[in-house]
Amino acid sequence: MYQEILKQLNFGTLEIEKLVNKITTHKYNPFYYHGALPQFYLWVLYLSGLLLFAYYIPTVDNAYLSKNLVNAWTSVDYITKTLPFGAIFRGMHRYAGDAMVITIILHMIRVWFTDRYRQYRWVQWTSGILLFVLVLFIGQTGYYLVWDDRSLCLTRMTASALAFLPIIGQPLKHWFLNGDLISNLTMSNFLFIHIGLSFSLLSFLWIHYVRMTRPVLTPPPAINYILVALVLLVVFLYPINSGQMANLNHQPTSFDLDWFFLFPYWLMAKVSLLSYWLIMFLGVVALTIIPWFIRTKPVEAAEVVSNKCTGCSLCYRDCPWQAIEMVPAPANSRFKLLATVKPYRCTGCGVCVGACAFDAIDVPNLPDAQVLDQIKGLVSAS
Amino acid sequence: MSEKKKVLAFMCERSVEINETDLQNISDVGVIKFPCSGMIQPLMIEAALKAGACGVVVTGCQLGDCFYREGNKLIKERLLGERPPGLKKTVDRRRVLGLWLSKLQKSRFIDDTKEFTNFVTSLK
Repeated sequence: MYQEILKQLNFGTLEIEKLVNKITTHKYNPFYYHGALPQFYLWVLYLSGLLLFAYYIPTVDNAYLSKNLVNAWTSVDYITKTLPFGAIFRGMHRYAGDAMVITIILHMIRVWFTDRYRQYRWVQWTSGILLFVLVLFIGQTGYYLVWDDRSLCLTRMTASALAFLPIIGQPLKHWFLNGDLISNLTMSNFLFIHIGLSFSLLSFLWIHYVRMTRPVLTPPPAINYILVALVLLVVFLYPINSGQMANLNHQPTSFDLDWFFLFPYWLMAKVSLLSYWLIMFLGVVALTIIPWFIRTKPVEAAEVVSNKCTGCSLCYRDCPWQAIEMVPAPANSRFKLLATVKPYRCTGCGVCVGACAFDAIDVPNLPDAQVLDQIKGLVSAS
Repeated sequence: MSEKKKVLAFMCERSVEINETDLQNISDVGVIKFPCSGMIQPLMIEAALKAGACGVVVTGCQLGDCFYREGNKLIKERLLGERPPGLKKTVDRRRVLGLWLSKLQKSRFIDDTKEFTNFVTSLK
């Protein structure tokens, strides 16, 4: 049943991609760069964020309302209204974040529909979920930084949600606010979380990519221009405005919701904190363990015929899964190196067989000899 | 069924799906399925031509969309001589056809294979 639905979904994606191929050719089909799209938006975010960082002042100080009041909100206001192109960079930073979430979800849907997330791909799937949660959290901290009444409301909601957790709750809240109350230290902590976690994304991305040879990290320039143009279009159509400056003595109760990042807060407002944490936690756990629920035949890993292997490392270079390692050959060998297969990474695709000019590597369910027999059988049948 | 096949099609099992009726439609073609087109060795193509086949059709998935990431790209580069191991110089390049088709493009596979069969059998 599930397999049948999945097959139809797979056909659907193929149909859409075939249509797009007619317009763009396969070289410029954005679906074939689905993983590189969020990665590209990450670079856009880093660059636009760098500029915003140069002018941003992480304080909440509004104890006095003189003309020279300087705090997070006024610095963002300065960026938006006075700094040349500031509003554009702020808008790009905001909408590229939204675009990153959209492209991540597209990426996730595509790997699900095409069944490319389980078995030997579990490392990518699990690290991908971790990355997605991180991206959401980083995006939310970005909303705190603006320091308008929405930021204040979000900060208070987060603090109370963290404090609700047993045992680690109070320390977490203390870490989050960098003290017991919202203060200037809170803002510098938010800035640190926002930027520090953004760079920690890179190390998780490394885990995301580590089992892949030649991961597709960048779409072709033509697609990149369109991706930036799309963001700029939205920036001009829907300019960003801050709300009112946060006032710690007030309690804002409603705000505009950015559905891509702030949907957890919508949930938090609807249900009790206990159910909120349960839904969040179980949701992440459920997504993480999906790959182990679908039973399939285990992969039969490729096997090296050690007396034929010449150590030329062609299979090592071509394997798309980093599953082949060249090790020093045994002492009695005529060659320097010997290919070895890491069975836990092998997908049984046989690319290494195609790369071998010496018949020295075999996939157990279809050995070379069997293929040659089939060839002879078909061609010279009487 | 014990008829001599003139053309062999080496196919990725995730690209075009061929059933019995299609096979009768293209009776000159013998099909061998691989888990991925990247598994096809240039040696196998040489062996097929040496054994007496008139031509070989290599069918992989739509370029850009390999289930195993880049198998179709690799075999394409090998056939074009851009990546070792390649075909021997003595192999008649007219007798090898590469088709990169998704599961939905069966009719195109059958048309192109028929045309190719007619072409290679008219050689010599």
